Amino acid sequence: MTSYKENATLESCFRPGSTLCAGCMEAIAFQNVGRVTDNGVKTVFTIGTSCAEVSSLAFPNVVAWGRGDAPPDDFARSFSILHNVFESAPTLAEAVRDVADSLRDHGALSAPVQVVATSGDGGALAIGLRALLHTIHRRTRVTIMVLVNEIFANTGFQYSPATTPFASTSTTPAGAASPGNMMPPLDYVHLAIAAGAGLVAQLSPAHGKLFQKTMERSLVCEGTAVVFVPAPCITGWKFDDGQTVEIATLGARCGVFPAFVWERGKGGAVKDCPLDAADRPALEEFLGTQRRFNHLVRRDPVTGGFAVREGSEEVVARFRDWTQANVERMYRLAELK
Amino acid sequence: MSTIERPVLPLAHEPTPSGEIYPDAIDLERVRAAHVDQFTQREQVTVDGNTAAALAVLQMWRCLIYPGFPITPSTKWIETIASKIADEPRTKKKVKLLEAEHAVADYLVGAAAACRDLIFSTATSSVGLDHMTETTRSLGASGLGNVMLIDVYRATANFPLCIEGDPSDTLAHRDDGFIQICTRGKQQIYDTILQAPCLGMHPEVLTPTMPGYYGIKDSHRSARLTVEADKAIHAFQDGWIQPCPLPGLINGDTAFGNCVTSKHFQGFKLSQRRRMENVLRVLPAVGADFEKHFGRPGLAFFDEVGWPEHGSVDIAVVGMGPDFGTFEALRESFEQYAGLQVAGLAMRLLTPFPSEAVRRRLEKAQVVLVVNQAHHYGRGHLTLDVVDALSTLPHPPRVVSAFAGLGGADVSEATWERMLEQARAGEDGRHVEPAAFFHEGRPL
Repeated sequence: MTSYKENATLESCFRPGSTLCAGCMEAIAFQNVGRVTDNGVKTVFTIGTSCAEVSSLAFPNVVAWGRGDAPPDDFARSFSILHNVFESAPTLAEAVRDVADSLRDHGALSAPVQVVATSGDGGALAIGLRALLHTIHRRTRVTIMVLVNEIFANTGFQYSPATTPFASTSTTPAGAASPGNMMPPLDYVHLAIAAGAGLVAQLSPAHGKLFQKTMERSLVCEGTAVVFVPAPCITGWKFDDGQTVEIATLGARCGVFPAFVWERGKGGAVKDCPLDAADRPALEEFLGTQRRFNHLVRRDPVTGGFAVREGSEEVVARFRDWTQANVERMYRLAELK
Repeated sequence: MSTIERPVLPLAHEPTPSGEIYPDAIDLERVRAAHVDQFTQREQVTVDGNTAAALAVLQMWRCLIYPGFPITPSTKWIETIASKIADEPRTKKKVKLLEAEHAVADYLVGAAAACRDLIFSTATSSVGLDHMTETTRSLGASGLGNVMLIDVYRATANFPLCIEGDPSDTLAHRDDGFIQICTRGKQQIYDTILQAPCLGMHPEVLTPTMPGYYGIKDSHRSARLTVEADKAIHAFQDGWIQPCPLPGLINGDTAFGNCVTSKHFQGFKLSQRRRMENVLRVLPAVGADFEKHFGRPGLAFFDEVGWPEHGSVDIAVVGMGPDFGTFEALRESFEQYAGLQVAGLAMRLLTPFPSEAVRRRLEKAQVVLVVNQAHHYGRGHLTLDVVDALSTLPHPPRVVSAFAGLGGADVSEATWERMLEQARAGEDGRHVEPAAFFHEGRPL
């Protein structure tokens, strides 16, 4: 394992030139994973269609991927990336893994290869849930990183199966007759565990050291490692740039997407998110940072904090109940071996 | 720069239009050496079409992984491969069972991009091919000529479901970007599959291939097949398949599947079209070399029957698939009965359609009868291609369009005779419907 300080000196395979929003969590995650994969092993990324793809792999604009300013003489630092349709990233990764393993089995490839699949939650949990679960089910030795911004950001911020309850999205808009999204999100962490993953995490680079260590462990996992990265979306969640990490931290601490790391045979743990709601930041503090929850909370002109809007008390109470259930669920999942 | 000491693996590398390639990263000789022969000499076997197709890919040293998902009538292809591999402890080849056809197509993208010098093949049918569509169109544009998708023809609609051999599946995918080759008979299935990668992986083509054959009629019925020794097949294929000049994911520093602006999209599509057009030049050469190696006809644009040297005939028939054999069997007797000269073409290359060769062959015909076997709201897929091919002639022959054998129904002798009568009416200058349906000797 590399120290946090040493890791910061590594060269990321995600380079300047993407057109992702300034401060986008996807870019932060790529920067971090990109450094972790500078570990002396040839790296191949696969990517399903998503914001990340259209913003980082455009021709003839700068392709924001690759290690170094010139093709490296060191083969282990060479880097390749493959994009195909939304749901495809896990299957593409599985194919690359199998071909590399077959070549090595034949003695035709001496260098090891590590494979990382990246999808959005639309690609992995809506249109591509089949692909995600079956690649896990086949115990494929790849890391799958799912960037969960809870919306179909690429197509205009529509509802996804990972959308937080009561969020206003472009297809579940909040209005006089609707409090926003009424569907609880898919229990994707549990699904990944049940499908047979070797490592499952819900974690963003907001928890920097833990994120680095988890990604390092994912790359040596004997089975499939799945890391769901909560990814606050500046445009979709409607907040100002510069707040991404703060919102990711707050969302994890208040229980909307608790930081969680689990390994098969060892169990797991919820990090930085106490079971007792009284020990966590108030939910309103998280909701107030994003205009997608503007229909639920408002800034109190007296205290400067966030307060529940008149008429939204019942919805926020239900939101609070869901959050508590969500935290308890994650604690129960941590007990699985 | 990093402060951490890491093992370094220096390798020579070269620039290409698609990124850097590390030519020595993969030692393919190890893969070739590990191949376990299916046949050490030419032999005669009796097999069905799916088995013939399976044997062909098993004999290729470049095929290491066989992704698949079962669907009638192509299922026996993957079953045969699984069975052969299960019976051979020395082989390192593997079957890869995926959860759906879409996953198979995605897998083909990943595997073929990972190593462009290996061949990745699967077989599917009907709605299985439809389920792959989102990705077959990516594949068609990908430049991954090392993908071979074997389509066992079957009608596509599920309202009503029909499992027999109807080429509406392959004809619905004319613009996916695959080289589509129709075959008939076990020998042609086997021989075509051996040649298809030589065509698709040719550096001027780099386009995936879709050889196909009729479900049930050819997939399930058995006949004698001459199989060649694996080593002879390798010698033939290695003469055509050179190391890919472009990098793969493993031996490269590269990117596949970029997003492009509309301005550059045109360029990508033009390049794709030009590679496809090169098929018309490369295919006859591959076919001729195959014949030189094995003494049987190789790839061709079409099979010809009954053509006199001068090329002038009263009725020219254009069709495809095994039912064309029934026409071949009755052609001479119809000639005698009608007092007409009758010849035919069984199309093999469907995409790109060999318009020039078809025009040259048909230009001296009085009337052309085109027999379509797939549902079409117009005059038929083949008819449109034939009419287009003839459109530049100053006085093109009259084209009579017929539909027969939909859903895989047999096209009986009586049906052929009735269709030929229809063509005869056209030849006489009488009125005929733009497109007519025939079954069991009668118009429908």
